[in-house]
Amino acid sequence: MNEILTQEKSIYIQIKEMIENDILRDILLEEERVPSTNELAKLYSINPATAAKGINLLAAEGILQKKRGIGMFVAQGAREKITAKRKKNFYDDYIKSLLAEAGSLGITKRELIEMIESSEEGGR
Amino acid sequence: MSKLVGKGITKTYGGKDVLHSVDLELESGKIYGMIGRNGAGKTTLLSILTAQNPATKGSVTLDGEPVWENPAALKHLCFSRELAQVSGNNVNTMKVKEYLRIAATFLPNWDKEMADRLIREFDLDVKKRIGKLSKGMMSMVTVLTALASKADFTFLDEPTSGLDVVAREKFYKILLEEYEQTGRTFIVSTHIIEEAADVFEEVVVLDKGSILLKENTQELLERSFHVSGRAEEVEAAVSGLRLYHEERIGRSRGVTVLLEPGEKIRDGYDVSVQRLSLQKVFLALCGEEA
Repeated sequence: MNEILTQEKSIYIQIKEMIENDILRDILLEEERVPSTNELAKLYSINPATAAKGINLLAAEGILQKKRGIGMFVAQGAREKITAKRKKNFYDDYIKSLLAEAGSLGITKRELIEMIESSEEGGR
Repeated sequence: MSKLVGKGITKTYGGKDVLHSVDLELESGKIYGMIGRNGAGKTTLLSILTAQNPATKGSVTLDGEPVWENPAALKHLCFSRELAQVSGNNVNTMKVKEYLRIAATFLPNWDKEMADRLIREFDLDVKKRIGKLSKGMMSMVTVLTALASKADFTFLDEPTSGLDVVAREKFYKILLEEYEQTGRTFIVSTHIIEEAADVFEEVVVLDKGSILLKENTQELLERSFHVSGRAEEVEAAVSGLRLYHEERIGRSRGVTVLLEPGEKIRDGYDVSVQRLSLQKVFLALCGEEA
């Protein structure tokens, strides 16, 4: 939860993604309580309503679960849900912009594939 | 839920309109930001909303009851004025503790415990005369008065203007903490927009005595974009939209757009579309033409 807020995206989206990142990195574990709206508001100096919007989106996706009177918890299977969702969005989030930039630089698809194949990082 | 409503507020000073028929509704339980240039009428509007200054025309009501000379309504309102080293009134010859004692008399919900706690937290010398305080210390007196008033509707006029960046951050944290615990309504006027933007649930933009917009801050930012690129491409991408604050250098052009429902920036053109900070949106709305 200690990433820095930026200008590029709506604050509530960033709050949402930060919590997702923490779940993916096992900083927040399944069935563990996540920071409350007010804790987030104070930590980032943001309006609690904005923090709540991010939290509520995660609850709507079933990644967080509300326990009455106690707070929000990481739901069982949250990690898998986030991974599946990000995989589904991978093309839109990454490949599209990659192809656009490659296009404007005149890099061919073949060259792109070669770059990926000779890369030592990521993927398998 | 309470509502403070200003209707058709006009204020004329020496034949000159400072506010032109302003309508404004403030709901309880929110933090509002009021932004505007110097002389836009912010302080005048805040003082009229809190019945410290009569409107030339128009009305202010709290849940339907006029606030003017109405103690039952006034006990819910507090306007903490900006203090200045050069000021027309006698406040500056007062010691801080005298100023606070007077505040406690006039503000029926005064929380002495909170006032004392903040005096310690801000390291404020209460024996000093107001006029002898540094700008930062003056801001702290303004902030302290506002917070300890415990009024349901608390108006802060430029509370952060004299504070350094660390103190400003602290102020917003204290404000959020108080808001969380009490759900009081705060209306904060400020010039220092950037760091305050995310604290405000709604933002009111005042320009030349009129309200330009009053909107949920995040929703405003979500519909504000800067479009730039080769002039013809930009032209095509934003054609039909209302443009704010254009700038041109050589073949390139940049414009700010605030999308209305149903509007969009056209796809398929080679332009950069970027999001804007509240400060940039404000500049586009109220700034001089480039």
